[in-house]
Amino acid sequence: MDAGENTYAIETIGLTKIFPDWWGRAKVVAVDDLNLQVRYNEIYGFLGPNGSGKTTTLKMILNLLHPTRGKAFVLGGSCAEPEISARIGYLPEESYLYRYLTARETLDFYGRIFGLPREVRNERIETLLEMVGLAGMGNRPVGTFSKGMARRIGLAQALINDPDVLILDEPTSGMDPLGTRQIKDLLVELARRGKTILLCSHLLADVEDICDRIGILYGGKMQVEGPVRELLQHQDQIEIHTGRLSESTLEQIQDILRREDQDCDIQRPMDRLETFFVNIVNKALQEKQVTSGAGVGTGITGFLAERPVVRSQTLLDQLVSARVAPEEPARTEGSVTEKTQPKKTTPPVPQPDENLLSRLVSTKPEAEPKTAPTEPTPQKAAEPTEKVKKDLLESLIEHKHKSNGTTEVTRPDSSGDQPNA
Amino acid sequence: MHSLWAMVRNTLSQAVRMKVALVVIVLLAVLLPLMSVVMEGDGTPLGKLQTFVSYGLGLVSLLLCILTIGISTYTLSYDLKRCHLFLVVTKPIRRYQIIAGKLIGILILDLVLLAVFGGIIYGLTLAIPKLVEVDSAQREHIQNEFFTARTGLKVTYDEAQLRKAAEERLKMLRESGQLPREMSQFEALRELLAQERMIAKSCPPGRSKRWDFEGVQISETNDPNARIFVRYKFEATTTLPDDTVYGTWRIGDFRQIETGQGRPKTPIYEVQRSDTIRTYHEFYVPADAVADDGFLSVAFFNNPTLNNTTIILDDVEVLYHSGTFTDNFIRSLVLIYVRLAFLAILGVSLTTWLSFPVAILVCLVAFLAGTANGFILDSFDGLGMTLGLIYNFTLRPLLWMLPQFDGVYNPSYYIINGRLIGAGFLAKTFFITVFIKGGLILLLGMWIFSRREISKAVV
Repeated sequence: MDAGENTYAIETIGLTKIFPDWWGRAKVVAVDDLNLQVRYNEIYGFLGPNGSGKTTTLKMILNLLHPTRGKAFVLGGSCAEPEISARIGYLPEESYLYRYLTARETLDFYGRIFGLPREVRNERIETLLEMVGLAGMGNRPVGTFSKGMARRIGLAQALINDPDVLILDEPTSGMDPLGTRQIKDLLVELARRGKTILLCSHLLADVEDICDRIGILYGGKMQVEGPVRELLQHQDQIEIHTGRLSESTLEQIQDILRREDQDCDIQRPMDRLETFFVNIVNKALQEKQVTSGAGVGTGITGFLAERPVVRSQTLLDQLVSARVAPEEPARTEGSVTEKTQPKKTTPPVPQPDENLLSRLVSTKPEAEPKTAPTEPTPQKAAEPTEKVKKDLLESLIEHKHKSNGTTEVTRPDSSGDQPNA
Repeated sequence: MHSLWAMVRNTLSQAVRMKVALVVIVLLAVLLPLMSVVMEGDGTPLGKLQTFVSYGLGLVSLLLCILTIGISTYTLSYDLKRCHLFLVVTKPIRRYQIIAGKLIGILILDLVLLAVFGGIIYGLTLAIPKLVEVDSAQREHIQNEFFTARTGLKVTYDEAQLRKAAEERLKMLRESGQLPREMSQFEALRELLAQERMIAKSCPPGRSKRWDFEGVQISETNDPNARIFVRYKFEATTTLPDDTVYGTWRIGDFRQIETGQGRPKTPIYEVQRSDTIRTYHEFYVPADAVADDGFLSVAFFNNPTLNNTTIILDDVEVLYHSGTFTDNFIRSLVLIYVRLAFLAILGVSLTTWLSFPVAILVCLVAFLAGTANGFILDSFDGLGMTLGLIYNFTLRPLLWMLPQFDGVYNPSYYIINGRLIGAGFLAKTFFITVFIKGGLILLLGMWIFSRREISKAVV
């Protein structure tokens, strides 16, 4: 396959791994005829229960295991070729670092393998140590690190070569919620800057937060694959977030919905525990309380932030990754979602006024900027919610009511959480 | 190349931080100076020097061999077991570079340690004569026999001639029906050949034995103090009253007498000796006994008035100065380095497909077999016709693959006798042991490693 012409950053064709017993007979089929396709610049979540073949697949992609059948390509070639592996960053399920090396020596060792000149290496080491929150621990042997700290240095080694493709196996395992949040933010930012990320994790919330597409593996076979939002979105329900509303306004909304023959559940939103935890720790950090653990990462800086956003999407990629309006289900289903197992079809249910809702949110930029082919604007990315178009909302509730808060209309995902991206 | 050197550096870090390396370094640093003080040998200054250098080099060699076996079998198997290689092989590095990097790292460590501890032995050896009481005769003796590097020319016998004689005797015995019935023809020939060899070395009472040497290249031709040494060992066919052999030696260019040139151009020296049997003895004569073309004859006369038994002269050898002690000492270290290099190659190569315990066991067996390889090979040479044939096609090639650390491959043998380790011999040993034997093993190891799965089956 020509690397210049390949459509996918990572692709497997009929990948199969059978572990034989002592007599050479097939004992376990770990991966069975897997066709995995990860597009450029996307974060792909590779999910599955224990023993489903996720790690085996990653190992075959990385040439750590030989496929029984099939082929695996990364950037159009094999990982066994140094030209290809020079563009890959890999973090295995455990950090597997040399315990006797210090954090700085560890990064220096891997930097040397990549042939980075001394000045570049030193600069990157300092940047990465800062970025993963281990700036003060560069001279500590990795063997003395906690699991979470080892994961951080493991991630740093995966980034030392400024890779185009990142293959991460459980990157946040063993990390505290603050570290998990930082790593997730970092991955999103890396994807924005043109990296392709294949993420293998058991922590579904993490995957859901940051991934563009997911694939679920079971028994070595791909059970379902597609964009996270489409797989998780309830097509028959909508969710409206507003600021504080008076009781009378709420009753009027309920009245309208009753007239539409719709049920309405009104609740006060709750913070996620992760958000709450991070806020508490951030407060302690601001108060400069002493800790011997990992510090706060600086986010993406240095050499990783130097490169402009690169979107090497093909026309097909742009088409399939573009936000598709819900009223065009045929296009979405047909072009993006690949289901390898038949799914139950749900009977059609009455739909709300989708055009109205679309217009309501149309003033906001796309909520999934990772796949957008333009430079992200920090101001927009920092906005947690969408600004309401008040006149439209008022027309919806047929009542003029002044509101101080913000309003967001979304389709509820199964978890009920907002995507971080 | 940068990937290779990254592996080299990492292997060095790994080796240095291994406690076994530290233990070996501390042991040698403590034991070597202690040995130089404690060891006495036969009580003479020469004996003390010979004992210290012999045990010193032996100890350094043994401990460094064990260290090399330990590190070489540990480094790759540890990386495989702890999955460190997951993060290495997924980087732009070829698998053979990983093996080569590990190997070069170990070889550099060995080189440094050998240089350091060899240097300590060398320094202590030079210091010993200054620290103990040595008279002028002893000092001269030490200079002539220890702080020197001499080339030895050994007596060789024409094996084809001996075999021919043995076969003729066998034929005669067979024709006359004197061949023992219980003895096969092969066994009889072997026995007769041994007898012929013994006859070739023996000197009956009243008879003399002469050996001619060619190519005696005295380097100090203008030095009046240059000497030729004759080294030998006696055996007797019957018991001697005082275990002493009395004899007369003549050394010089005998061709001058045979051709009747008149007054000889080079002197012929006569030396009366009385020496105990079964012990090596040496005497020397001025080096001007050697003819200009490097020819020298040595003859022994078994005096019938003093001896009444046939004397067997074993290992008669002529020695002459051909180098310095320092050069020779460095060559002895190179000889040790050859075995370290071979063991490092063997250890790293074995762990490409064997686990640490199995690999270290195989390496230790190879090391021990190498230490006694000469003995093993000699013992198999005595096998019968059929067994010998099987051995030649099965075990012999395997034994050939093993290194040889004993006999002429033992550096102590050269240093304590003040013998030069020939550059040609050294180069040949290095080439065969490291490049041929080690190279084959290394290629096999690299081939296996480049094809094996780095990860284990985990589902």
